[in-house]
Parts: sequence; C-alpha cells; structure tokens
Amino acid sequence: MSSSREKILAAARANKPDEKPLPTVPDFGGDDSTERFTQVLTSIGGQVVWIDGPEQLQPVLKQLYPESRLSASPLFPGTVLVDALTSTEVLADVDLAVLPGEMGVAENGCIWLPEANMLHRALPTITQHLVLVLDHRRIVATMHQAYEQLPSTGGYGAFVAGPSKTADIEQSLVIGAHGARSLVVLLY
Amino acid sequence: MNHATRAAKFVGDADRTTWHDETLWFVRAKRDKAVYAVPEFQDLRELASQIKDHTLSKLDTYLEQFEEQAKRNGVHIHWAADAAEHNAIILDIIRQHNATRVVKSKSMLTEECHLNPHLLSNGIEVVDTDLGERIIQLRDEAPSHLVLPAIHLKKEDVGETFFKHLGTAKGEVDPQVLTEAARQHLRARFLAAEVAISGVNFAVAETGGVVVCTNEGNADLGVNLAHVHIAAMGIEKLIPRLSDLAVFTRLLARSATGQPVTTYTSHYTKPAAGKEMHIVIVDNGRTKQLGRPDFRASLKCIRCGACMNTCPVYRRSGGHSYDFTVPGPIGAILSPNIDMKKHSSLPFASTLCGSCSDVCPVKIDIHTQLYKWRQVLGEANEIPASKKWSMKLMGRLLTSPKAFGVGGKLARHGIKYLPYSLTHARHFNVWAVARELPTPPKQSFREWYQQQANTPA
Repeated sequence: MSSSREKILAAARANKPDEKPLPTVPDFGGDDSTERFTQVLTSIGGQVVWIDGPEQLQPVLKQLYPESRLSASPLFPGTVLVDALTSTEVLADVDLAVLPGEMGVAENGCIWLPEANMLHRALPTITQHLVLVLDHRRIVATMHQAYEQLPSTGGYGAFVAGPSKTADIEQSLVIGAHGARSLVVLLY
Repeated sequence: MNHATRAAKFVGDADRTTWHDETLWFVRAKRDKAVYAVPEFQDLRELASQIKDHTLSKLDTYLEQFEEQAKRNGVHIHWAADAAEHNAIILDIIRQHNATRVVKSKSMLTEECHLNPHLLSNGIEVVDTDLGERIIQLRDEAPSHLVLPAIHLKKEDVGETFFKHLGTAKGEVDPQVLTEAARQHLRARFLAAEVAISGVNFAVAETGGVVVCTNEGNADLGVNLAHVHIAAMGIEKLIPRLSDLAVFTRLLARSATGQPVTTYTSHYTKPAAGKEMHIVIVDNGRTKQLGRPDFRASLKCIRCGACMNTCPVYRRSGGHSYDFTVPGPIGAILSPNIDMKKHSSLPFASTLCGSCSDVCPVKIDIHTQLYKWRQVLGEANEIPASKKWSMKLMGRLLTSPKAFGVGGKLARHGIKYLPYSLTHARHFNVWAVARELPTPPKQSFREWYQQQANTPA
C-alpha cells in the first residue's frame, strides 16, 4: 500500500465533518411519451424514424443512408464484421453502425447503450453515422427511472443523446465533432 | 500581478469585453430556459447538495469502498497526494508501456497538476482532444473557462490558429469548416494513440466505476481505441450510489450549457478484454479544504461553470484574469486554499451579488465564502495596505456620528475646491479612473432633515 493512500485517507478521516444523512431520492414521475422523447431528441440534433419492426430495418436504412458502403451491425449481416478484437484500421472505415438501444429517456432524448450491444466499445463513436434501434415501450420519463431499471452498467456503457457536437468556436453549434456525424433512432 | 491588473488588460478592448459578456449571458439564458422546463429542479439541487454533504462526511469510507470495488473490477488504483505525484504516476504508466503517443480528453485536474508540460518535457506527445482544449493547446494558452475553454477567442482567432497549425485556408472563419479540419487532424491522433487519459465527472463508490460526460465523444473515442486508459480523479468526485447519477446528470448539462444532458454520459467500470484501466485518485489540497468548515462546501462543486456564466465580474474580466485553473467565483474560493498569498486578490473580484450561489446546482454558498475569505485574508495580512487602511479609516468614520458629520462636510466642500488633477489622480483615486465624481449636494441629509423638523407643517 502506498503511503499516499494512508496519508489521504487519514487526512479525510481527520478533517471530515460530522456525519450527514444520505437523502432518499424520490421518483418524480414525468412524461414518458414517445412524443416527448421525439421532440427532445430532435431538438438536440437527432432524428426519429418509426418502423413496423426490426425486420423492416434494411430497406429503411437503404433509404436513409443510400451512400453508405461499410456497415456493421449485430442485427443483420453488415458489410464489415466487427467484434471486440477488430483492429483500429478496420473500425476507422465503418461509415454506418446499426446497434440495438436498450432504453430511451424522454426528458433528455438519450438512449442507453451497454457494451453488449456495441460489437466493439469504440464502434458507436468511430462510425461516421450511428443508428440505434429501440422498442418504444422501453422509453422512460427521467434519468431516475432509467438508472432504476439498469441491471448494472456492465464493464462499459453510455447514454447517447444525439450526434457528436461542439460549440467551442464562438458558441456556434457544429454537428459532427469527433464521434458520429448523425444519429437516427429507429423506433418500433 | 493581481486580478484587477490582469483584468485591466482584458477590458482594454471594449468591443471584445462586450462580446464576451454577451456570449456568456447567452449561455446563462439558455441555462434558465432548461432549468424552468424541469418542475423539480430546485428539489434536485437540494438533493444534490445533501448527497455531496453526506459523501464528504464519510469521504474516507467511500474512498475505500470505491477502491475495493474498482480493484474487484480489474482496475489499477493509484493514490497521489499532490500534483507532482499525480504526474509521476501517469508518466510511469506510460513508460511501462513504452508509449509516446497520448491523447487526453478535457480534464481540469490534469490541467491543475500541469500534466502536459511534464509529459512533453519527458518526450511524450500529448494531444488534447476536446476541440476547445486543442485550440488553446495549439496557441499555448490556458483554458479560460471550465466548460468552454476557448470562450475568450473569436472565430477569426481560431481561423488564424488553424491556418498556422492545421493548414486551413488563410482567412477561413466558418466554424463548420474549422471543426471539420480539427476532426480530421484529431482522428489521426485518436487512431495512433497508445494511451488515453481522461478526467472523471463522477466516481461511484457502489460500483467502482467512473463517469465521463462530453458532447464531442472525444473521451470515448480515445479511451476505447487506446490500449491503456488512465482516469485522473479528485477525491471530491465521489458519489455513493449508481442511482445518485440520475440527480447529477439531470443538473450538470442544464446548468452548464442549457442542454438536457451531455451527448455522451459514459460509464467506465472494467477494462475491455486484454486492455488496462488505471484510476489515479488525487488529493492536492482537497483534504485540507475539507478541514476548513467555512470553505469545505466548495468541494461539492461539479464543475458546470454556471457561476462563471452569471458572474458580472467574470463576464467582464475574462477567465485568464484569475490566473488559476478554475476561474470565476468558484475558482476564487478554491484558489486561496492552494496559495493564499498568490491568489489573495481573487475573493475581491466579486460584487457579492449572490448570483453565483443562485445558479449553483449543488447549492454552494459561493458568495458567502467569498466574503469569508476576505476576512481570513484581512486577518492574515494578505490584502493591500491601501485597502486595509482605507477600510480601517472608513470603519472609524462610520462608527462615530460626529466624525461622519464632519467628514461629510469636509468632503462636500473639498470636492468643490480641490483641483481636478488631485481628486482624479490616477494612482491616488482608482475609483475615478473610469468614473466621474458626483456634484456635491449643498447640504447633507441630516441637515435637510433638521431643517424640515424646524419648519412648521
């Protein structure tokens, strides 16, 4: 054990105030409608497209991304096979990733994407375009309900809310910083 | 150099000061809109404040719990008492992997510890990957804001920087074009990096995982491509439960930029198969602050920057005038803890209007702490002699009605007869540098009142 560890813990122990209670966080309820989810996601640069079911995926994708050459997905045989060991060079060429989303949150338009749904941890950000497929019955109202329903966050997982963006140059909003340039949520 | 001297340089360019002020107020207005859309926002602030108070009151226990969980997840844990140790640990990990190419996502802690110069001087190429951070890294500047590191720059400045370093066209100022150039430039760095360093927004004691929030996805791209992930966290980043994240993620982006949530809220709990994850837990003065009852609440800060966006002094003096990693109102209470002498002027860079405390998502009593620091600094003899003596004199004047009456009379007549060059002497009366003195009234209020009382109704 390092001496710094002991030093820090000892100082924290000596300097901390008297114990204060940990509050219980209520479930504040809220609007879990697909309308709300769609409205918020659209306002942050994402797009929602309804499909009848997962079997309708490919024709819709063809329509949405006619130029896409290299796609990766666990939902259908894509043109690039990606798994946890795929090399950076191969990943860097993927222009479309189609991944199953686990849960949507209406208040902020984010979608929970656990590692198990990603093929490779870097895929959702290295791809040029990201499509998340989501069952509309899996939309909850707030982050409280989202965390309540997570079995665990696994080794890695992210709430993704829209495409990668930045406003670092004079507060001008630019979509497509380092990660995916667009995000489409296919709701069924 | 004190805050006022450095601020004087910034306000010298009146147009830029006005633009800076308006840009930040625009962010503050966006924050308000986002906040009013959440009916329970004030409840969330109270809950966040209580959760942080609780965590600080059991910080040692939660640190141990966090360490135990993280180790169980296969994460390497390191402890750094100060900045030097933090830098040494990180350099050591990089060297163990014979790595030279490092990407970093925005982390104010590594900035606080001056990690970049340390790595660069040891032959490690370290590239900041947040767009704003990269811009200022290319310009060899420090961030001027917690969330908007390049907020002090205009698009013309960025265009010039990218023309010089990234080969964009001369005179290119379109943010879209400039961002695309940065995207291509940085993508090459992401793909080549062997080690990725990130900050930590929240560390969850219950799971041993860390959460990083970005809009650009730069942390995820860097961390998930590199073989080694090093996360640098201050001990105050802890929260007890996974479910507490709901409270904080609802507050953070809304307070910072008026977004409902950051684009990526990423949970790193275990290293990917065959890869390594390290967490460096850093004190660097934080346990000392924990021991100061008047100031410990500053450790609750979640680094949203809302206090800066609303502060009338920050908006008009710019982040660099604070000469500290964390500028603005929160920086002005954190900095004297680190170096009371060097930062003695910062708690005075405030109107004490309380706007910072009003917007703080974790309810830190920022303006009260600024006021308290002034007293601590006064007792420690860390305020300029002119301020000290004038305050003493003023105090004596205000406690004696007789002296106050005489003083008022002297001032009313004095201003009338004293030459302008004396009443407005730049070094003698700083107040009058940008202001005119009022025309003195013929009589004081007291004289007027007495006159009224003597006049029959």
